[in-house]
Amino acid sequence: MTELLKIEKLGKSFGALEVLKGIDLTVEKGETVVILGSSGSGKSTLLRCVNFMEIPTSGRIAIAGKPVGTERNRADGWIQVDYRESELIGIRATVGMVFQHFNLFPHMTAFGNVMEGPRTVLKLPRGECEARAETYLSKVGLADKMHSYPAHLSGGQQQRVAIARALAMEPQLMLFDEATSALDPELVGEVLQTIRSLADEGMTMLIVTHELGFAYSVASKVLFLSDGVILEQGAPDDVLVRPKQQRTRDFLRGHATYKLPDLAIT
Amino acid sequence: MEHVWDFESVFTNWRLLLTGLGNTVLLAVVCLAIGLFLGLFIGAARYSKNRLLNVPASVFVEVFRNTPALVQIMWFFFAFPIISPFRIDSFTAATLGLSLNTAAFCSEIYRAGIQSIHRGQWEAAKALGMRYGEQMRRVILPQAMRRMIPAFMNRAIELTKMTSLASVIAFGELVHQAKTISTIEFNPIETYTVVGFIFFVMIWPIAIAVRGLERRLSRHE
Amino acid sequence: MGYEWDFGVVFRDFDLLLLGLVNTLKVTGLALLFGVPLGLVLALLRLSRHGMIRIPVGIVIEFLRSTPPLVQLFWLFFALPILTGINITPFIASVVTFSLQSSAFFAEVFRGGIVSIEKGQWEAAKAIGMDRGQSMRRVILPQAVKRMIPAFLERVIELMKTTTLVATVSYADLLYEANTIAQATFRPLEVFTVAAAMYFAVLFPVSLFVRRLERRLGRTGEGTVH
Repeated sequence: MTELLKIEKLGKSFGALEVLKGIDLTVEKGETVVILGSSGSGKSTLLRCVNFMEIPTSGRIAIAGKPVGTERNRADGWIQVDYRESELIGIRATVGMVFQHFNLFPHMTAFGNVMEGPRTVLKLPRGECEARAETYLSKVGLADKMHSYPAHLSGGQQQRVAIARALAMEPQLMLFDEATSALDPELVGEVLQTIRSLADEGMTMLIVTHELGFAYSVASKVLFLSDGVILEQGAPDDVLVRPKQQRTRDFLRGHATYKLPDLAIT
Repeated sequence: MEHVWDFESVFTNWRLLLTGLGNTVLLAVVCLAIGLFLGLFIGAARYSKNRLLNVPASVFVEVFRNTPALVQIMWFFFAFPIISPFRIDSFTAATLGLSLNTAAFCSEIYRAGIQSIHRGQWEAAKALGMRYGEQMRRVILPQAMRRMIPAFMNRAIELTKMTSLASVIAFGELVHQAKTISTIEFNPIETYTVVGFIFFVMIWPIAIAVRGLERRLSRHE
Repeated sequence: MGYEWDFGVVFRDFDLLLLGLVNTLKVTGLALLFGVPLGLVLALLRLSRHGMIRIPVGIVIEFLRSTPPLVQLFWLFFALPILTGINITPFIASVVTFSLQSSAFFAEVFRGGIVSIEKGQWEAAKAIGMDRGQSMRRVILPQAVKRMIPAFLERVIELMKTTTLVATVSYADLLYEANTIAQATFRPLEVFTVAAAMYFAVLFPVSLFVRRLERRLGRTGEGTVH
C-alpha cells in the first residue's frame, strides 16, 4: 500500500480559538476515512486544511509522498511551514472537495459546471473537457440533466453534479464536507449511493458525515474527533460498535436513531 | 505650468464662506423636513385605493423622480412666478424644487419600508383585534422606521449635495459664495477645493453612519 | 388665472431643444463609456487585500461620492487648464467630470454586486484550483453583473439628470438651450415645461424598465438595490 496523505502535528487556530490541536493521520491510497465528531470538534477544519482552503497554523502535510510548502527550521520542535499560493492552487486542482451546500455555479448548466475546472484550471482542449463532462455526469447518473441549470435540479441532483465537478479534475483524493446534511431525507440516499460507488472503485476519500450507518458500511477507517484532537480511531467495528472512550459513546448514543449492527453502546 | 497655490485668499473671505455654509445647511434642513413630512402623505396617497388620490400622487412622484433637480429649480425660479400667486425669490424657488423632489423620493422609501415588513406582522396585529391605524402605528411603522433610517440618511446626503444647484439661481449658499470669492480673488481652484472639503466634511460622516447602521440592521435581521 | 399659454414659440425653436437633448445624451453616453470601466477597476482595487491599494482608492471614491458634482465640475473646469496648461472646452470638462463622478458610483454598484455573491461560490472556485482572478472572472462577476443591472440603470438615470449641470459651464445641453430660448422669447413657463417633459420622456421609460427588472430579480432574491 502507498501512503497518499500524511498529516503530522497539524494545528489550526482562528485568532485565539484553537480548533485543531495536533492531528496525526495517515491515509493509504484507496482508503475511505470517515471523520466523526460533534459540531465544533474541528472535523470540517481538518478537511479544509487538507486542500488548503484553510492554511494550517502548524504541522506538516504531505500528499503522495511530497511535502507541501517549505518548512522553516525551528529548534523548539514546533513545525511551521511557509506556503506559496501557486503551489496550493496546484494542490487544490488534484484534491476534489464536495460542500454541504453544493456551491454549484448557478449561471452555468450542469455540463458547464463540470467542464469549468478542466477548462479554466487545467486548460484542456475544449473537446476533452466536453468528453470529461459527459463521462462524469453519466457516472453520477445525470446524463439526462446535462443541460439543466442548478436551479432546476433537486438538491440530490445538485450534489451529484457537484461530485461530478470535483471528479472531472481527476483528483487523487476526494473530500466530502457533510455532503448530505443540507438535503431532504428522501434525497440523501442517491448521494450516499454515488459516494459508495466511488469507494468501491478505489477512490481515496475523506468523509465528514453524520450518517453513522453509511459510515459503518463504507469506511475502512473511522476517526472520532473531539476538541481538536483525534480521540479514537480504527476500524468501523472498533470505533462505532465497541468504542473505548466515554465521549465517543455519548456521541454515538446521541445518534441512536441510526440503526447500527450490534450496537454495543449502552 | 506651475500653479502657485494660494489658500490664504480663500480664508480671508471666511465670512462669505460661513454665510454660505449657513445657507446650505438651512436649505438642506428645511427641504429635508418638508420632504419627510410631505413624503409620508404622498406615499399614503399613492397606495390608497381611491383613484382621485393615487393617480395624482403617482404622477407627482414620477415627474419629480424622472426630471433633473436643476430643471425643477429653474422651473420654479423662472417659470413658476408667471402663474404663481405669490412672489418667488431664489430661496423659495430652491426650497420648492428640492422639497418636492425630496418628498417624491421619500414617499418611495416609506412604501418600500412598509412593504418590507412581513405579512405575518399585519396578521398578528389584526388577530389581536387592532384596527388598520393601530396596526400601522403600533406594529408596522416602528419596525419599518428602523429599516428606513439608512435610506432617509442617504436622501439627506443627496439633498445636501443638491443644495449646490441653488447657486445657479443665485441663492447665496456655499457654491454661490465660492463663485463670488473666486471672481474677486481670481482663485477658483483654491476656493472650490476648500468648498469641496467643506461638503466632504459635512457629508462623509453621515455616509459612514449609514454604512454602520446598515451593517447593524443586516446583522439583526 | 389670466395667463395665456403659447407653446408655439417653443416649437418654433424645437430643433434647438432637440439638439440640446442630443448633446445631453452625448455627455451621458461618453461619461458611461469611461465611467463604467473605470468604476470596475476602482471596485476591484477597493476589494484588494492590500491596504496600500484599498485605502487610498476608498478615499477617492468616498470623496467623489460625498461632494456635489457641481463643485467637481467647477473645480475641473478651472483647474484642468491651469494645472495641465491645456485649453479645455466646456465639453471636455463635462465629460471628464461626469466620467470620474459616475465611476465612483459605478464602483460601489460593482462592489455591492460582488460582495453580494455567497462565500460558497468563492470556495467552490477555489476548491477546483482557480486563483482569485479566475474566480472573479469566471464565477463571481458573471453572477454579480446580473444582480447589478437594476442598480446600474438607476445610476444611469441619476447620471443623465446630473449632466444638466454642464449648462452652468455653457455647454449647449438641453437645459442650456431651454434657458437661451426662454430668455429670447420671454416664455420661460412653456420652454422649461417642455424641457422638463423631454427629460421625463427619456427617463421615465428607463425607470419603468428598472422597476420591472427589480420585481423580477426580487422574486428570485437576486436584486442588490434596496
